[in-house]
Amino acid sequence: MLHSWLAFLIYGFFALAIPASMMVMSFVFATRPDRRTRARTIPFESGVSKGPPDQRSFTISFYLTAMLFIVFDIEIVFLYPLAVILHQLAWFGFVEFFFFIVILAVAYVYIWRKGALEWR
Amino acid sequence: MTDPWWISLIKAFLIINLLLLLFAYMTWVERKVLARMQLRYGPNRVGPFGLLQPIADLIKLIRKESFFPASAVDVLYIAAPVFSSFTALAAFSVIPFGPGWHIWKWNVSGEVANLPIALVVIFALSSLGIYGFIVGGWASDSKYALLGSMRTCAQMVSYEVSLTFAVLGVVLMGQSLSLVDIVQKQASTFWFFGPQFVGLVVFFVAGVAETNRPPFDLPEADTELVAGYHTEYSGMRFGLFQMGEYVNMITLSALAVTLFFGGWYGPWAPLGPLWFLLKLFVILFLFLWLRATLPRLRYDQLMRVGWKVLLPAATINAVVTAALVVAL
Repeated sequence: MLHSWLAFLIYGFFALAIPASMMVMSFVFATRPDRRTRARTIPFESGVSKGPPDQRSFTISFYLTAMLFIVFDIEIVFLYPLAVILHQLAWFGFVEFFFFIVILAVAYVYIWRKGALEWR
Repeated sequence: MTDPWWISLIKAFLIINLLLLLFAYMTWVERKVLARMQLRYGPNRVGPFGLLQPIADLIKLIRKESFFPASAVDVLYIAAPVFSSFTALAAFSVIPFGPGWHIWKWNVSGEVANLPIALVVIFALSSLGIYGFIVGGWASDSKYALLGSMRTCAQMVSYEVSLTFAVLGVVLMGQSLSLVDIVQKQASTFWFFGPQFVGLVVFFVAGVAETNRPPFDLPEADTELVAGYHTEYSGMRFGLFQMGEYVNMITLSALAVTLFFGGWYGPWAPLGPLWFLLKLFVILFLFLWLRATLPRLRYDQLMRVGWKVLLPAATINAVVTAALVVAL
């Protein structure tokens, strides 16, 4: 069992080393310009760039979506282990499963009616 | 059946290089297929049929002058692309691609790592991958990059919910979180794309959105956001983000093959990895076909599809599957 995690770690090492070495190469082999102009060091703008944005505010909907994601994703994490052994638990397991989904559905209908799923 | 560490080492090295090769030639295939669908030739200058194009691209990306915004947060700006391609590459390790072989006196299993919770590992890694995009966009300190990264984040987390819910039906039927077990279960019963058809459709649509591919490529909507989260990236740093995107697409297609189409088993002839590759290419072709056919969605449409269509569909599918699994 632990051996398969070892294989995963070995693979993970390659998965980290290859992008990291490519990143290093992009610095080592990069063409060096004769002179650097200021225009290259300011962020892109289609037109005249004023430099970095003054404020970093964004729509509240993004925040709301992230909150909803946390709620639903946690529910799914609970459901996965249940799904694996559901055939052993038979109807008891199914009733539990169903109750869980119903509670989730109540919350879902609530956020739908509240308009949290509308993009503003 | 676990391999000794040195077999794992060789196998990991081989598989990751094959995956990178597949990624490199996927860019070529994509350009060729799109070109043909638009009555063009596509890349045909570098080598026969433009086959050396990916290598030329690689050299060009590495040789690019490395410059970035002065106000960028250096450490995060550089770490983000490496991280996003790391999570993409790492996720492929649990995909089983063959039945396992007996070579001389060693057993070589048909996957890099046969983890008992492979499915959870894949979803965890793809969730972590979001950090690469959001941190990269934030750290480059540009308004297009910031907007792009916020969009990417919101889109990916929204579709992640539907994606994981869609797989719940397969877990119920396969009775395991290990991908090898799920493939074996399909071989001993039937492939899950029939009984789990709703799950497959939700999985595929959510998967296209999850990998930021057209028609769900809102994070990189070039008509409004220039290039989204990687606006300020150039050279190999941009290349690493591209690598992350393509490898995610390959992993997701491989996952679809594993979960719904019987993995390395074919209808006849035990060809193992060849069947796997064949099915993989069919699904990858679907990704390209979608890109050539469909126009991009609007952002509110995207969110509506994710939360109001796919999520209820996936949930109902899971409940019906649970009832059937218990009843039959």
